[in-house]
Amino acid sequence: MRKALFCCLAGETMIKISKQELLQIPSLLSAMGYRVIAPIRAGGVVKLAPLGPDDQPEVEYIRIINSPKKFLLPDDESLFRYRSTATITSYGLKIRFPTAEGPCPVTILPEYLPIRERLAFFGIHQCMVSSVRYLDKVMMSDPADPYYKNRREGMFIAELDCDEGDEYCMCRTLGTYKIPAGYADIQMRKSSSGYLVNAASEAGKELLSRLKKQDAQGAYPKPVPKMVNDFELVARDEQEIDAKGAPKSLEACTLCAACTVTCPTCYCMDIEDKFSLVDPSNVSRMRTRMSCQRKCYSAIAGGTAFLHAKEERFKWRVKHKFPFSINAFKLVGCTGCGNCVAYCPAGVDFREFVGRRVA
Amino acid sequence: MMAKAVAGDVNPYIPKPVTIITVKNESLETKTLRLKLYNWRLSFVPGQFVQLLLPGVGEAPFCIASSQLDQKHIDLTIIRRGILTTSVHYLRPGDAVGIRGPLGKPFPLDAFVGKDLLIVATGIGIAALKSLIIYAIENRKKFNDVTLLYGARFLEDIVYRDELKEWEKSINVVITLSKAPPEWRGLRGRVTDHLGSLRLGKGTVAAVCGSPAVMSSIADALVKHGISSGDIYVSLERHMKCGIGKCARCIIPGGKHVCIDGPVFRVADISIGAIGE
Ligand SMILES: Cc1cc2nc3c(=O)[nH]c(=O)nc-3n(C[C@H](O)[C@H](O)[C@H](O)COP(=O)(O)OP(=O)(O)OC[C@H]3O[C@@H](n4cnc5c(N)ncnc54)[C@H](O)[C@@H]3O)c2cc1C
Ligand code: SF4
Ligand code: SF4
Ligand code: FES
Repeated sequence: MRKALFCCLAGETMIKISKQELLQIPSLLSAMGYRVIAPIRAGGVVKLAPLGPDDQPEVEYIRIINSPKKFLLPDDESLFRYRSTATITSYGLKIRFPTAEGPCPVTILPEYLPIRERLAFFGIHQCMVSSVRYLDKVMMSDPADPYYKNRREGMFIAELDCDEGDEYCMCRTLGTYKIPAGYADIQMRKSSSGYLVNAASEAGKELLSRLKKQDAQGAYPKPVPKMVNDFELVARDEQEIDAKGAPKSLEACTLCAACTVTCPTCYCMDIEDKFSLVDPSNVSRMRTRMSCQRKCYSAIAGGTAFLHAKEERFKWRVKHKFPFSINAFKLVGCTGCGNCVAYCPAGVDFREFVGRRVA
Repeated sequence: MMAKAVAGDVNPYIPKPVTIITVKNESLETKTLRLKLYNWRLSFVPGQFVQLLLPGVGEAPFCIASSQLDQKHIDLTIIRRGILTTSVHYLRPGDAVGIRGPLGKPFPLDAFVGKDLLIVATGIGIAALKSLIIYAIENRKKFNDVTLLYGARFLEDIVYRDELKEWEKSINVVITLSKAPPEWRGLRGRVTDHLGSLRLGKGTVAAVCGSPAVMSSIADALVKHGISSGDIYVSLERHMKCGIGKCARCIIPGGKHVCIDGPVFRVADISIGAIGE
């Protein structure tokens, strides 16, 4: 009996379902114990958010303003809290102990609870799946970031194929429309009559077994998405980037950092201590978002900073996406999602800088 | 109620508590803290650093400035520059702080064996090289000539006064002041002015630390004096937060991270432009 079920499961990796059934997948994922994150249309934009019982996920969209990093590397995360016998002095928090021989009199007792929830991303496009791959390279390299690792383990990705980008996309050039092996538990795509769903992992197969479905024949299609503007990369090493003049649109850049905030792969962070004056002995070690577009990103003591003019900062962003990431992680850091172009109030377009228009 | 620390040992963000046992005034701006470790030992190689946590103030990176033979204590020499380093100057014996480390890649000591070792320090840069100086003295026979060329601005800025006298007994110590008082009988000017009077050449390896701009001019000058860029090592400073390659703050041109690939770099492996501002 068991064996038969297994065979039957192994055979049916691809199924055909209606849109209505597709929209049931989030509740099936919740039933499997996941916290479901899905695109929601609100306030004129589509963004990823935890899906409430009454929320309708958006499946007819091109662009989301945020990305999985919002949940995998949350802004303003408390890494741990610690408590010590402390009083406030002129320099902030002070802990004093007699210098005693023997066991340590100090109690920096960190409070750190592993994250237990399992995340499921429903309906994210290929570029966003590629961004998780990049964040994995950075955060899971030795020593792994324990907070990221905790969230990443047991995570579920229900990817929704995007076949046609908007005028800001560049995934064709970078090849990031291809789902890297092991990066989607299920792939979903619109077909002539409903949706095709393909399971690529055990968890994905388990999900499919819970759906009312029709088996589909043939191979899961893998077309190249259509681009409105198509580019070919021309400047991706450091010398080439340094040698190029800044794009004209950079004149209007206000260093607002919208590019790095909306970028799914920008992972710059600040780490600081925060405590309340009411209870100063209770300190939180907080991790917050940073950006190379800000001066404090590179400033060191004595007034020295390494990135001054906005041209340097723009080029730094491009270098981190291309040569630096290729050197350090053997992977391009840009997924071609186009968020940094779409949400830039000054209209700065890095594609014109690293690429040459081919269509 | 405080939850129990879970997986504290494997979380690289969690500091270990230490107490301060002595505070030594090195100069008006600079102090050396001696930290005592409890129930653990810190084994490090010269060139590595720790993240020092002042509870409620924050963390900053400092090079370990003591002998690697003593694994129960470490020294940090800290110059007052901003919020955290000013707070450091209010610390007294008995105060408790935290450290994470050792972090970073150290000097490749084996590659120095049998060579002439030239250590060039300017300003507080000497703190980053002190553990190497001590190592060279403790293992004097492993090296040929050992020279410390130390540049400071004012006479009052010179740190490690007691140690310098001690070191002179086993290595050459050359001190130069760029703003020397009239009564100063030692060398005047910058360290780069005095490289010519040293015996430098094929068998020399150099370890350099100072401010970014000074370090790149020293590296330039050493190359001009015939030392190959493969034999020059610099200890770089960048803004650091995580210390483990996760916050992207310490990246240098080329894409290397100062916290995990450095802070010690061979000049041949990075561009001289990556050293300076
Ligand atoms: C690997 C390494 C080893 C170092 N070793 C020593 C040493 O042995 N002795 C010593 O005196 N100094 C050392 N430093 C420098 C020391 O870390 C900085 O002086 C210190 O971080 C300044 O902190 P602050 O809070 O006093 O300054 P702040 O008040 O925070 O600000 C002053 C300036 O320092 C910058 N800054 C803040 N935090 C950091 C940080 N984490 N890293 C770099 N710059 C920062 C700020 O952007 C600002 O420009 C080292 C730095 C590095 C990277
Ligand atoms: S750099 Fe721009 S296009 Fe590339 S991943 Fe970031 S936001 Fe998307
Ligand atoms: S350095 Fe700039 S480009 Fe790189 S992750 Fe940080 S904000 Fe993004
Ligand atoms: S200090 Fe965070 S990456 Fe180097």
